[in-house]
Amino acid sequence: MSPAFLYFVETVLNGLMAGVMYSLVALGFVLIFKASGIFNFAQGVMALFAALTLVGLQTGQVPFAHLINAIFGTEVHHFGWELPSIFAILGTLAVMVAFAYLFEVLVLKHLVNQEPIILFMATIGLAYFLEGFGDLMWGADIKTLDIGIPSGGSFWLEDVTREWAVEGADYYGMYIDKLDVVAAIVAIVLVVALTMFSQYTATGRALRAVADDHQAALSVGISLRSIWVIVWSIAGFVALVAGIMWGAKSGVQFSLSLIALKALPVLILGGFTSIPGAIVGGLIIGVGEKLAELYIGPLVGGAIENWFAYVVALAFLLFRPQGLFGEKIIERV
Amino acid sequence: MLYRETGDFKTSYLKDQQTFPIKSERYLFWALILVAFFVVPFFVNDYWEKSVLVPFLVWAMIALGLNILTGYCGQVSLGTGGFMAVGAFACYKLMTAFPDLNIMIVIVLSGAVTACVGVLFGLPSLRIKGFYLAVATLAAQFFLVWMFNKFAWFYNYSASGQITAPERTVFGYAVTGPSAAPWATYLACLSIVFVFAWIARNLTRGRVGRSWMAMRDMDIAAEIMGVSPFAAKLSAFAISSFYIGVGGAMFFSIYLGAAEVTEAFGIDKSFDALFIIIIGGLGSILGSFLGAAFIILFPVLLKNVMVNAWGWPTDLAAHIEIMTVGALIMFFLIFEPHGLAQIWRLTKEKLRLWPFPH
Amino acid sequence: MNAPFDPKKLGIPAPEFTLSAHEDGVAKGDVLLNVENVSLSFGGVRAIQDVSFDIRKGEVRAIIGPNGAGKTSMLNVINGFYHPQQGTITYRGEQRKAMRSTAAAKQGISRTFQNIALFKGMSTLDNIMTGRITLQKRGLFWQALWHGPAAREDLEHRRAVEHIIDFLEIQHIRKTPVGRLPYGLQKRVELGRALAAEPALLLLDEPMAGMNLEEKEDMSRFILDVNHQFGTTIALIEHDMGVVMDISDRVVVLDYGRKIGDGTPDEVSKNQNVIDAYLGVPHE
Repeated sequence: MSPAFLYFVETVLNGLMAGVMYSLVALGFVLIFKASGIFNFAQGVMALFAALTLVGLQTGQVPFAHLINAIFGTEVHHFGWELPSIFAILGTLAVMVAFAYLFEVLVLKHLVNQEPIILFMATIGLAYFLEGFGDLMWGADIKTLDIGIPSGGSFWLEDVTREWAVEGADYYGMYIDKLDVVAAIVAIVLVVALTMFSQYTATGRALRAVADDHQAALSVGISLRSIWVIVWSIAGFVALVAGIMWGAKSGVQFSLSLIALKALPVLILGGFTSIPGAIVGGLIIGVGEKLAELYIGPLVGGAIENWFAYVVALAFLLFRPQGLFGEKIIERV
Repeated sequence: MLYRETGDFKTSYLKDQQTFPIKSERYLFWALILVAFFVVPFFVNDYWEKSVLVPFLVWAMIALGLNILTGYCGQVSLGTGGFMAVGAFACYKLMTAFPDLNIMIVIVLSGAVTACVGVLFGLPSLRIKGFYLAVATLAAQFFLVWMFNKFAWFYNYSASGQITAPERTVFGYAVTGPSAAPWATYLACLSIVFVFAWIARNLTRGRVGRSWMAMRDMDIAAEIMGVSPFAAKLSAFAISSFYIGVGGAMFFSIYLGAAEVTEAFGIDKSFDALFIIIIGGLGSILGSFLGAAFIILFPVLLKNVMVNAWGWPTDLAAHIEIMTVGALIMFFLIFEPHGLAQIWRLTKEKLRLWPFPH
Repeated sequence: MNAPFDPKKLGIPAPEFTLSAHEDGVAKGDVLLNVENVSLSFGGVRAIQDVSFDIRKGEVRAIIGPNGAGKTSMLNVINGFYHPQQGTITYRGEQRKAMRSTAAAKQGISRTFQNIALFKGMSTLDNIMTGRITLQKRGLFWQALWHGPAAREDLEHRRAVEHIIDFLEIQHIRKTPVGRLPYGLQKRVELGRALAAEPALLLLDEPMAGMNLEEKEDMSRFILDVNHQFGTTIALIEHDMGVVMDISDRVVVLDYGRKIGDGTPDEVSKNQNVIDAYLGVPHE
């Protein structure tokens, strides 16, 4: 096989991996949108906040240390202990559930009958709030997230693929990050688990009922509010997983919240209400971006990854607004 | 007691439709305008000009534009930063290509260029609605910033990628460039904003404004009644982009003086503009001004209290500021979705009766 | 029914306000709109199957039928909002191709909606003024200047709208945002908005839904006044049989997308198919 073809395969595989990472974020959006019709712009910041909390708990940081020091003139930073990863993860989950509950009580409950655009803007407000809050609580410096996931390229894979190249070609083997592989496996497990939860459990059924029709769900005795707390908690869990994967890959910093913006084209492709759609959309965007950068990029000066996904999404919106898996919208008057 | 309305009857439809139907309010407004034009220039200093007045006027202009698109016509746009960039770069290219052209004309022309670009990016709105449209505008935002970065022709091949505004004068007084006096920049911005706020008021009170609001409230019913979605949406995009382009040109040439596209016109500007119109009041001319004042003054206030008075580090103040803005957005959306403008309207209603309870 | 109110016969000056913007040369009693063999489907659902009927100028034509019969879809087709897969619509003697609803509005077809579609962010006055939009001409430049031609045009239309407000007795809620109005008044404002366009053909979709007896009597009076005073042709969907019998000249009955009756109210009420449809007797 020629190096050009092997590069192509490598790009596709890396694109698939990147796509999976996008899907992880998109999943959180789909869940919340399905259950409450809200497009949660804060999903990315939730991932950042979850990652910050995880690292903070793991390294024994004092929450709000900076603020406390400013008020009281103290110099505290760390408690001095270090939590094993599993406890830190559980602790973070507890924090995300508490956050879901507080958000429902303080904000969601009051916005029940508002138009979607108002709800969307409320989540933008939430994103800003959570960003400031997260920085206040754990500090805005870049942190490394390490819970023991293997990372880096695989020498074994590089050796094997080098053999596939044509004799004498200048090829060093495929680089595929082990972290990405782990992320892909985790994402698939998560999707399967969520789909099974939604299809086969009573709570999952209740979730689908709420997504379909609030009034009807209320009339059969489903508590809208507890469903919302559950959904936002699950979204928080998904945000944590996404935060872990992205954080391990590129460090826990502000730019993590911007992956929310990347999830939007994924959702448009896959449809806002489809869990498998989030995966397929993510994969298409991931591969598309990488291939576009490889083949079209050099023609226009490179760095088109920034906007390529959006243009694809825009094209989709013009010709198939409901995405690949969404339901066709029939206007009624 | 504050409002004396007795005997002030409206005897014609013309009088009924005035912007300020209550006499005392009308006089107050014109008094404020007179003060703004003829008193303030004598007292404005560098700090007030650079930190408060000029950014307030520039953001009010941008907010007027976004309010027309999102507040009146209901088309959500997250591309404000990108359109500001179009205005700024158009201004830069025109300034450098035609050094003798008056800066005011350059600014208006930059608005016109941005209007054309706005119509182009507004075409998807004919098929897409709601926050799907917001995503399409994000495409505009990212693409435009990338484009201004990539093609060196836009920044005249300068090594730093920055654009700098050369000095230009109006009636012999420098308005752009480092030697411009505070009162000159202030008056220039004030004049521009005054004229275009008047035009915005005119557009929103008549047929065009009603067609925008009809599209926002019930687009299908509006179409069945004869409001052309094509005309309404594209005119909203065009006029809104014109205003945002003028704002962007002012932002670059008068306020900043020099700009680098990724940091000056990034998506954070789009969010800032959206926050201004949410907090100020969607679909309100006054709201654009109130929101801009709030966004400018609030950080100044926080900084003065937290950093100067309490001695806290500036990054702490920044975090608290972001947090509070976010909390305020949610607060306003829950309790007063029509923003500060509505609060002002309700206060006025109460003041009309005060001190009587009803 | 009483003889129509004719101010000339009574020696009173005629009202200066008429809904005549779409005077079209079609004589009273002639066919204004002709629906021929129209079929409409959404995917697999056949909403309308091979329906034909006509509407004569100056009459009140009721479209009735059990729920889901396709009545609102029929109105949407007349409006140009839905495009039938088969059949033709002839309006004022001209056969219509698939046209956008804005074009239908410009030709003088105006309507109200089953679930009120008022512009909730605007006042009553502004809502009805929006109804005048097909009659307003001044372009963007004059609108930006306002003072001058645009303001004058707006005032003219304000005068016309005030006539409608007087006619519908809603002066007291002129400046109220419509979202705050009670249901019955909202329906009246919507009627006002449809009238503001000075339509040749007025389509009313269940104008009396959800009203009590008194409100229904008021609304019936308004509808009859519009028909008698201004000569407007009216097609209305209505469930209240008493209202239909009282105010309509002719009736079309739809059931499961097919036409099962067409004639005067008396003829239709004696039609066995119609009785069966309402009683739920299944047919093949």
